[in-house]
Amino acid sequence: MGKRLYRPRPASVELGPAGVPATIAGREVESVLEQWLVEDRWWNGRPLRRRYFQLTTAGGADAIVFCDLESGRWYSQRGA
Amino acid sequence: MYAELHAHSAYSFLDGASTPEELAAAAAVHEYSAVALTDHDGVWGAMEFAHACKGLGIKAITGAELSLDDGSHVTVLVADRRGYRNLCRLITSAHESTREHGPSRRQDPPAMPPAVTLEQLERHAEGLVCLSGCARDGAVAARVERGDARGAEQTARRLLGAFGRDCFRVELQRPFWRHDRARNRALAGLAERLGVACVATGNVHSHHPDRARLQDALVAVRLRSTLDQTEPQRRGNSSSVMVSPGEMAERFRDHPRAVAEAAALAERLDFDLTRDLGYRYPGSEDPHADRKLAELCRARLGERYRGTTEEAEAEPRLEEELHVIRSLGLSGFFLLHHDMLELAREVAREVRGTSSVRALLPPGRGRGSSVSSMVCYLTGLSHIDPIRNRLLLGRFLNEEITALPDIDLDFPRDIREKLIPRVHERYGTERAALVASFATYRWRGAIRDLGKALGLPAGEIERVARSADVYGDPHDFARGVEEVIGESRAGSSRWRAMIELCPEAYGLPRHASQHPGGMVIATEPLIDLCPVQPSAMEGRNLVQWDKDSCADAGFLKIDLLGLGMLSAVERCVDEVARVRGERIDLSRVPYDDREVYEVIQRAETTGVFQIESRAQMQSIRRTKPENLDDLTVQVALVRPGPIQGGAVHPYIERRERRRQDPGFEIPYAHPSLEPVLEETLGVIVFQDQVLEVAMSLAGFGAGDAEGLRRAMSRKRSEAAMAVYRERFIEGAVERGVDRDVAESVFDQVKGFSGFGFPKAHAAAFGLLAYQSTWLRVHYGPEFLCALLNEQPMGFYPPDSLVHECQRRGMTILPPDVNRSAVECRVESARGAVRIGLGYVLGAQEEEVRRVVEEREENGSYRDAGDLAARSGVGHDTLERLAWAGACEGLADGAMLSAADNASTRRDALWQLGVVTPGRAVPGGVQLSLPLEPPQPPPLRELTPWERLVADYGSFRISIDQHPLALMRDDLPQGTVSSQVLERLADGSEVTIAGLVVARQRPATAHGVTFMLLEDELGTINLVVAPHVYQRHRLIVRTEPFVLAQGRLEFRSGVINVVVKSLRALERPDLPRAEIKHIEPPVGRETGREIPAEQGLAAAAGGGSSSAADLRAVIPAGHSFGRRGR
Repeated sequence: MGKRLYRPRPASVELGPAGVPATIAGREVESVLEQWLVEDRWWNGRPLRRRYFQLTTAGGADAIVFCDLESGRWYSQRGA
Repeated sequence: MYAELHAHSAYSFLDGASTPEELAAAAAVHEYSAVALTDHDGVWGAMEFAHACKGLGIKAITGAELSLDDGSHVTVLVADRRGYRNLCRLITSAHESTREHGPSRRQDPPAMPPAVTLEQLERHAEGLVCLSGCARDGAVAARVERGDARGAEQTARRLLGAFGRDCFRVELQRPFWRHDRARNRALAGLAERLGVACVATGNVHSHHPDRARLQDALVAVRLRSTLDQTEPQRRGNSSSVMVSPGEMAERFRDHPRAVAEAAALAERLDFDLTRDLGYRYPGSEDPHADRKLAELCRARLGERYRGTTEEAEAEPRLEEELHVIRSLGLSGFFLLHHDMLELAREVAREVRGTSSVRALLPPGRGRGSSVSSMVCYLTGLSHIDPIRNRLLLGRFLNEEITALPDIDLDFPRDIREKLIPRVHERYGTERAALVASFATYRWRGAIRDLGKALGLPAGEIERVARSADVYGDPHDFARGVEEVIGESRAGSSRWRAMIELCPEAYGLPRHASQHPGGMVIATEPLIDLCPVQPSAMEGRNLVQWDKDSCADAGFLKIDLLGLGMLSAVERCVDEVARVRGERIDLSRVPYDDREVYEVIQRAETTGVFQIESRAQMQSIRRTKPENLDDLTVQVALVRPGPIQGGAVHPYIERRERRRQDPGFEIPYAHPSLEPVLEETLGVIVFQDQVLEVAMSLAGFGAGDAEGLRRAMSRKRSEAAMAVYRERFIEGAVERGVDRDVAESVFDQVKGFSGFGFPKAHAAAFGLLAYQSTWLRVHYGPEFLCALLNEQPMGFYPPDSLVHECQRRGMTILPPDVNRSAVECRVESARGAVRIGLGYVLGAQEEEVRRVVEEREENGSYRDAGDLAARSGVGHDTLERLAWAGACEGLADGAMLSAADNASTRRDALWQLGVVTPGRAVPGGVQLSLPLEPPQPPPLRELTPWERLVADYGSFRISIDQHPLALMRDDLPQGTVSSQVLERLADGSEVTIAGLVVARQRPATAHGVTFMLLEDELGTINLVVAPHVYQRHRLIVRTEPFVLAQGRLEFRSGVINVVVKSLRALERPDLPRAEIKHIEPPVGRETGREIPAEQGLAAAAGGGSSSAADLRAVIPAGHSFGRRGR
């Protein structure tokens, strides 16, 4: 849970109607495999609030992206 | 659609973050039809939850999350009465070995985690539904998470075997963790293979997302760690909170049948804790109980009343009571209490010994409303004659009673300590247990626990905690933090988090402990009714419910309370017998002693039971009690109930008016109230009068009135009060009372809701107030000794008790190894009180006892070497005794008194530092060579101020001089003493200085703080208005010495200073330093050894380290405050 795999990079994500990513960097999301939430460090002035999605894109690639709930920005953690 | 079958309240201690009531209310908001409370290994909150849900129309399911001995969890839910019994037995087994009392007999061995084995679970499966456990630690899910699919399946099959297909479910959770879907897919596959259904649960840990942070912090507190270091153990996000059934369905959209199964299962579970417990009190099964009780009482009736003026009244009263008791089926209940008292009598004989003068006294005394019962009087459960004291039975017993009456018994502390384990023995640990009580977070505890969890610096936490005596509300708390550590620190993220979390934690239970004396006794094993667990004290068990839950369960509860003043008066009569050879039977002292009432009327009542507080003293000067009846009212008058009900001032004024004009007519709100309120001059002072007012004015039946009283005294009562208000007003109006009058009288009744004494209780306490005053008046030194030896108790710290006695001309002598006993005693030759060696802080009790025993066997100690060699006491205790001045007479072997030899405290300390003490060995002391210690080098004498600091640091009392006497010359010009105040005019502007003895900020005083100061000549009352308090709150709360400027106010013989400004009193001539530099043993106490030479040099007055800060050692003034939010 929340284990850092790679350094996150900004990602361009478009959301579908259920608030779930529909495209990543222009590629269509085929399925959402998992969705999880990390909320931590709220006490130290650098709160961590991220909603993660593990997805498969149309090309069959596996990706993990997250939305930083503090800033509303999206990042790619792996793939994408 | 969905029911929540897995929820934790704050009774999952330091894990759940909401009360059962909050969970129930949130469930109502989300329109749940059923919710299960499944706290970890306990049902502490189950009854509270069941009642809260019942009021809201929600089905409460009883359950628990049980820990297995491999560390995993299962969730169990009660289906029926058998299941509940099995749950109680399982939880009892889980806690059975949580306290291992080893040979060292520690009072508080650390608690081990509760756990049951899978075999135990299998044996007690009947009537329970088992869910396979939570996502992280579940018996099945945890194995799936670890990749142990085979282990998961084996465990699941075993649980299926035990509980059957109908009562075993695979539990799915969606905490929004990384592998939720994979885990749930695996669990669903397993369920399919086993042919059982899945059920979705929320594993709720708080009622609202706002509490998720507190839940995080509580986990860190539980692990005694910080938030930074507990990431793996915390929940990781805020999703473990109660959400709507719709949202749960959305979370489990991959498993819709598991959602539906939750609702279906809830529908099946029909056990209602508020209805199906099936408790019967012991004795109720005895068909001969009525006859036995009647015979017992009739036999005693003759002994008590034959030939008295009350005889004619007594017999019909007894028969009436027996009739009520018979019709309620309570004879066995009274016989049980009688049996308990007989047991107490046995214990008292053992504790007191047959030759002691204490043997004349009954083992304990009744308190509370039971004192009004003739049956209680005759069976020894009460010592107050209900006829002579005109006590009515109704409050205690009536034919419409809805719950078992309480019988409370007060015992001296030493008897109570032995009686509780004896009750366990008599009725069996399965049938008798103590009632639980829950330590709930208050400001100070919350600050310390949460501050540590947040990783805040220990020094800052402590500073804020110490200044946090009384915070009125969260804003008050935030301001307090800013004041102590500064705005900028208070604005840091971690402190902001603290400011947010503390008010949320306030009031939540932190852990279970034992009620001071409430015991539950049952005919059938208690462990079938409520889980029982060992207490921290050996030989004692607790039921998992507090007194309210026990009352809701209808349990027979007996309160065996320890009352410090009962112990003190017993000590006093013992000491009088020892010193003067007089045998006092307190039940036969004259109750019309003029001198005693004169002392009471002048409010010279320091140390006396109940009427010693500042507020009591102020009112007593005006009410001027003249007999025991007046004292009964006085004891009950200064209580939150009468204060909030607006009774106090009218009563005092009417009493004064009537004293001046015996023909003064008492105004009653309605003529029907006259017979009810006559003895309290038209106002409600006693709890029973609420009952009588409701009956007279509003036509309430006794049961209705009793219901009203209960609604007023219980914490969860607002809705009930609204119902009774309507009934009261309508009832009164029907009887022709004006609506306005009815409303105003009900407001008085409602105001009473705080706390009030029943008259019977007040009579019992009034009697003890009189008896203690009688002892104070006639046996002052013995009474002071008793108070000092029975601390902590009462309103005043020992230092103030001593000063007050000195002002009355009594002689108090310091501890002395050649004269003191272990406890404080009266020296018969001089009638003086000698402080005991046991008062010396940090001196080991066993060693102090040896010092005294050796002296009594083999004579006085000649010098420091002799003391060290013969007593076998270690350096640490010897040095503490020396620093306390207890060896002053030894230093040069000349046995000089302290007054004659002011420098010898240092000499003794120096000499004891170089002698070799004997060694305690089994069977005695191995003497060291009795070498004469070398003469000390010339040592500077202790200054009076240094002596004062040493005395306070050593035994918390200053005997030689009051600190204000030493400060007097340095006080600002114009500062007056307490004695001058009464000669000044009302309204004068004064400046006054003193040692803070007590601070009070009662909830009833609308933010006003009262301070009691003491100077060398007397005491001074300060009244600090809220705006002044806001300006000086830190000084009010924390400073031991203050200088106050204000206006003098005389009110009917009471002198107050209404404070305008306040400042801390400093000693400019003494630099501040830590006391440890001049008090050698403290280094050891703090775990840091002070090199011998440094200690000695310091003792010799070398260098600046000898400077003393009295603030570090002065005893803290007692704080009595508003603790509510």
